[in-house]
Amino acid sequence: MVSKTDFEAPSLSGLGKLFGSLWRPLIGGAAIVCAAILSGLLIGETRIPPDIAFKVLANKIFGANYDVNAIDSDILWSYRLTRAIVAACCGAGLAISGVVLQALLRNALAEPYLLGISAGASTGAVLATVAGFGGGAVSLSAGAFGGALAAFAIVVSLAHFAGGGTARKGSVQIVLAGIAGSQLFNALTSFIIARSANSDQARGIMFWLMGNMSGVRWEDVAVAVVIVVIGFIVIAWHARPLDAFTFGTDAAASVGVPVRRVQTVLILTTALLTAAMVSIVGAIGFVGLVIPHMARFIVGHSHAKLIPAAAVFGAVFLIFADITSRIIIPGQVLPIGVITALIGAPVFAAILIRGQRT
Amino acid sequence: MSLTADNLSWTSRGKTIVEGISLDVQPGEFLGLIGPNGSGKSTFLRLLAGLRRPSTGSVLLKGEPLKRMKQRDIARIMAFVEQQADTEDALSARAAVRLGRTPWLSPLSPWGTRDDDIVARALQDVQMQDKADQPWHTLSGGEKQRVHIARALAQQPELLLLDEPTNHLDIRHQIGILNLLHKLGRTTVIALHDLNHALDCDRIAVLMDGRLRAVGTADELLTEEFLYETFGIRGRFV
Repeated sequence: MVSKTDFEAPSLSGLGKLFGSLWRPLIGGAAIVCAAILSGLLIGETRIPPDIAFKVLANKIFGANYDVNAIDSDILWSYRLTRAIVAACCGAGLAISGVVLQALLRNALAEPYLLGISAGASTGAVLATVAGFGGGAVSLSAGAFGGALAAFAIVVSLAHFAGGGTARKGSVQIVLAGIAGSQLFNALTSFIIARSANSDQARGIMFWLMGNMSGVRWEDVAVAVVIVVIGFIVIAWHARPLDAFTFGTDAAASVGVPVRRVQTVLILTTALLTAAMVSIVGAIGFVGLVIPHMARFIVGHSHAKLIPAAAVFGAVFLIFADITSRIIIPGQVLPIGVITALIGAPVFAAILIRGQRT
Repeated sequence: MSLTADNLSWTSRGKTIVEGISLDVQPGEFLGLIGPNGSGKSTFLRLLAGLRRPSTGSVLLKGEPLKRMKQRDIARIMAFVEQQADTEDALSARAAVRLGRTPWLSPLSPWGTRDDDIVARALQDVQMQDKADQPWHTLSGGEKQRVHIARALAQQPELLLLDEPTNHLDIRHQIGILNLLHKLGRTTVIALHDLNHALDCDRIAVLMDGRLRAVGTADELLTEEFLYETFGIRGRFV
């Protein structure tokens, strides 16, 4: 019999072991994502040879002085690269949000859309920009975050008052509440647009609502990277508690998971991730739904593997979705949400037909 | 005295489910909870396990109030097995048992070979070592329940709380599980729906309408009059 005191208090050696076991997958994942970002840099409508791309990178990052056409430089540095990085962040953020919500709600259909978080963020953003709520003091992203949290609060209290106190029943209630919440917020968004926006604005907003990477700037890149890294660390830290939710909230509590606290922290984190992504690129569907299933199919159920895998798959998927949206119609850029839905919906249908949560 | 309920009550939406129960669980004893459906057995067990907050009263685990303990510390002393906890995930039996190590692990004290040993031993204790790598949905009801008990054992608890663990099983598996629990010899509190199983308990606590009606040995309690008053049946044990 092993004495129980042997398990006490993590030490510095624990931290060392943690990094020891982490560096390989971390570097592997980062390499894959960087390769995908590089593809995003190299592929596009305007043909730019790879050597020019590398020269631009050298100029901008290491201050080298290669002679490069200013237009090429602009396309590569301020258009393709920003889009690719934001797409990577967005894909990773939405995918890990989906993993968290599917685990916490024990529902294969859970994702930021289900809880109405995306819809709420859209409403908040539109309220801040078009309707001039807050007299210009409220920025689009602050509006989106406020909207996401408001939507979440409404959906959760609706689920609560509908009697979702207990584990199993709670899952159903929150899904239904989420549907009601999404409908309400989408209607509100339409109402605000119809009331306050002129036709040009309306067209722009509809485009953005479908998920649109145009006009992404380096400031957006910074915000997206910081928020995704923080979100990833918080979520990966909770990998083991998330595993414990496999058999429901009571089972999680009985193996020592502080259920309320874990739920609160993780749901706030997904709300933050979703709001940040919606405020930068609009609402992109299916990533949070399909990628976690794909990742589960490949690496299995253990969240210690599932979370990093979903982050990498989501990032790569959205980078290539973005590339596709840029080149599929010559001279025109499609909203990226159209591409993700066109790929995601059939994949999701296939998952449904397989019948099992893989 | 390892686990004590002190005047426990639980009210949900204005309806009192458990009312004023006080009970001492003695170290090493096998305590059966019986009572008709809806008598509050499940809720009482969940209050004891710290999964519900009592409306009034308190639960003491080794003298310390549960509500002042961390969930993790509770789970290191006491394990709870639900009536039927299922999942659609295709995880293996072994992966399910691994969840029992959760209270002993953190990102900074990760899984080790010692945990593998504990999981293997727990699977052996419930005789599931041969099916350890089968996916969850291929296991029978009895096997699933054995895995849940193994998960509880992997927590290395001093106390086991079980909520009608044999409810959905056929008679052979019912007896198998109960024999297993007796053989494990831990301090056990178990809700039972079959009075026959109560005969083997060291003590029996009888719940009715959320109240504790009686505590005692099977011989003292399971009399003809008592069965009629509690369950509304005429009968006696032979």
